[in-house]
Amino acid sequence: MAKAKPVTGLNCQEATGKNARLIAMLRLEEMYQWTKYVDHPYDVAGLHNLRIAAKRVRYTLEVFEDALPEACKPIVDELAQLQDELGAVHDSDVMIALLRLCLASQDSGTAYEHALSRVEKHPGKGKLMVPPELLAKLLDPATVPSDEARFGLEQLLQQRLQRREDEYKSFHQHWEHLQERDFRRKVLETLNA
Amino acid sequence: MKEQTAPVWAAIDIGSNTVHIVVAHSMPDKLDILADEVDMTRIGESVNATGEISQQKQNETIKVLCKYKKLAEEHHAGQILVVGTEAIRKASNKDDFLAAVERETGLHVQLINGDIEAVLTFYGATYELYQEQNPPSRVGVMDLGGGSTELIIARSKRITWRTSFSIGSGWLHDRYLSANPPSHDELSVAQQFLRTYLKKSNVKRLPRVLVATGGTANSLLYLAQQAFQLPEQEHQLTYDGVMRAEGLMSALSAESIARRYHQPVGRARILLAGTLIIAAVMSKFHLQTIRVSPHGIREGVLLARARFGEGWLKQVQQISQQTDVDTSSHGKELEGTPEEPFAQSGRHELKDRAEKFVQECDKVLHNETEDIEPVHKLRVASRRLRAALDAYQSCCDPKLFKQVYKQVKDAADSAGAVRDTDVMLQGLQKQLEQVPTAEVAGVQWLVDHLMLYREERQQVLDDFLNALDGGTLKHQAEASIKKGAASNGKS
Repeated sequence: MAKAKPVTGLNCQEATGKNARLIAMLRLEEMYQWTKYVDHPYDVAGLHNLRIAAKRVRYTLEVFEDALPEACKPIVDELAQLQDELGAVHDSDVMIALLRLCLASQDSGTAYEHALSRVEKHPGKGKLMVPPELLAKLLDPATVPSDEARFGLEQLLQQRLQRREDEYKSFHQHWEHLQERDFRRKVLETLNA
Repeated sequence: MKEQTAPVWAAIDIGSNTVHIVVAHSMPDKLDILADEVDMTRIGESVNATGEISQQKQNETIKVLCKYKKLAEEHHAGQILVVGTEAIRKASNKDDFLAAVERETGLHVQLINGDIEAVLTFYGATYELYQEQNPPSRVGVMDLGGGSTELIIARSKRITWRTSFSIGSGWLHDRYLSANPPSHDELSVAQQFLRTYLKKSNVKRLPRVLVATGGTANSLLYLAQQAFQLPEQEHQLTYDGVMRAEGLMSALSAESIARRYHQPVGRARILLAGTLIIAAVMSKFHLQTIRVSPHGIREGVLLARARFGEGWLKQVQQISQQTDVDTSSHGKELEGTPEEPFAQSGRHELKDRAEKFVQECDKVLHNETEDIEPVHKLRVASRRLRAALDAYQSCCDPKLFKQVYKQVKDAADSAGAVRDTDVMLQGLQKQLEQVPTAEVAGVQWLVDHLMLYREERQQVLDDFLNALDGGTLKHQAEASIKKGAASNGKS
């Protein structure tokens, strides 16, 4: 994901609280631009961007903790939970990509793997999802996995795919819960209080 | 320094109402208290009535000091440090009083001003808080006295602002709560006065962690512990608890409070007034809880002596002069509040976060163990610094901003490569303990490769951190927002 956008309309001599609200609201808008991917379970890039954007809102609220209403604290907690849930999904995506590369597996054909094959790179500046230095280690022809090791890696991949499904479900349920509570409006109301 | 080998010193403070001694093994950030005693001498009463310390009060004070000197010697205290505050400062015969004390006891009393008193009180009231694992960055201290209430705000253990309100528990009691117990009308008027007084003040917000110190706060905690069966080790008062205590006391005479809750009658008489002040402050600043510290100026003296050596008083004086002291009657805008200018809060924020980041870099470099936490903490510190840089970018000098940002980002990337591998390894190693035998070889193969990769990444990180000039980075971060930064540079 691109670097955080500079916020326009700030005045450095104005009160911190006033500027903090403007920044937090912009970061919230940025986050909601990525929420269109919430229902796309295999859009690795979209979900990753949503995680980064949620993290930016959270950090903004934390940086300006003393200048924003105390009611922002539960918002920070919700964002931290979202970030953890999406972080777990992302960790699984990286591990799955890594295992697939180790196994050079082409036999699954699941929707997830089809999607993943198109997302070898991290969003943003095209940083590889699995670092090239790590790939070089794993794909070293001198240390290819034995048949026994391949079996273990295959099992690991299957387990991780299942785990990823569960992690996505947890995130999605939490998100729906936030939607039911009109989270966005509540954040804006809190910031404007 | 171990507690047993730390030097034993004694500190005595002669205040308006009490003379108080603490004897302790003294370390820069910790005290192991061996003795702690207090006597009511009330020299302030005499000074307020006649402008001088009466012969009777002088004799009583000297008698107490002799007793304390003996107590300090029994504990083999290497030094006895004595400070005098407001009441002695105000006394017209202070020179005679100090000479008499020195002649009769051999103790030299350092007469300290309000600025030094605030620094020492802050040190004493907060040292236990700062022992905790993740102490808050911003802390407030409320020293609730009989005639005034001092508010101190600190950031990263440095006092950044303080002010004094001319309302204290004794003052409020004398002015508004003369009946025993006070009438409903008296209570209403006192509460209304406090609301109006605090409303008029420009202090809009206090840090979320407020430490209350002084006799009233501690007596209130003691009463709450007894009345509401709070555990003895509980050092927090909730707003609900304060309100309950207020309700309880408002129906009782001072004598009943003293008898039921084991308080001296003199203290019980003014305790309700002090409770009203605490309740009003909590209500005004939306504080659900406050912490109560039994420590104050005396402990601060011992900590300062351990931190700064023989020249402790001079050092504390210099520190006190760096503090932004508000002398106006209603306070002024506070740092870290919505009213603080954005550029100013940015300078503080970038300085603090850059310091923390550099500290974590050092910890990674000096980590000789297998502990993976230092890298994790470095990554978190880098994220927080970047978040602060993003937030304040519009006030920053673009060139300096870019320089700082790039270094922090590069450090974060290097630390991230190590940390991400640690997380994968942790999961896989846990899995190794659970997987069926047939799957072990696969997991182990991956673990072995990841460990090799991790080793390489750690080396890359170490090389980067060794080349990083932490001092320059801190300076650049702080300087990236120029004083008097103009409005939005990025609109």
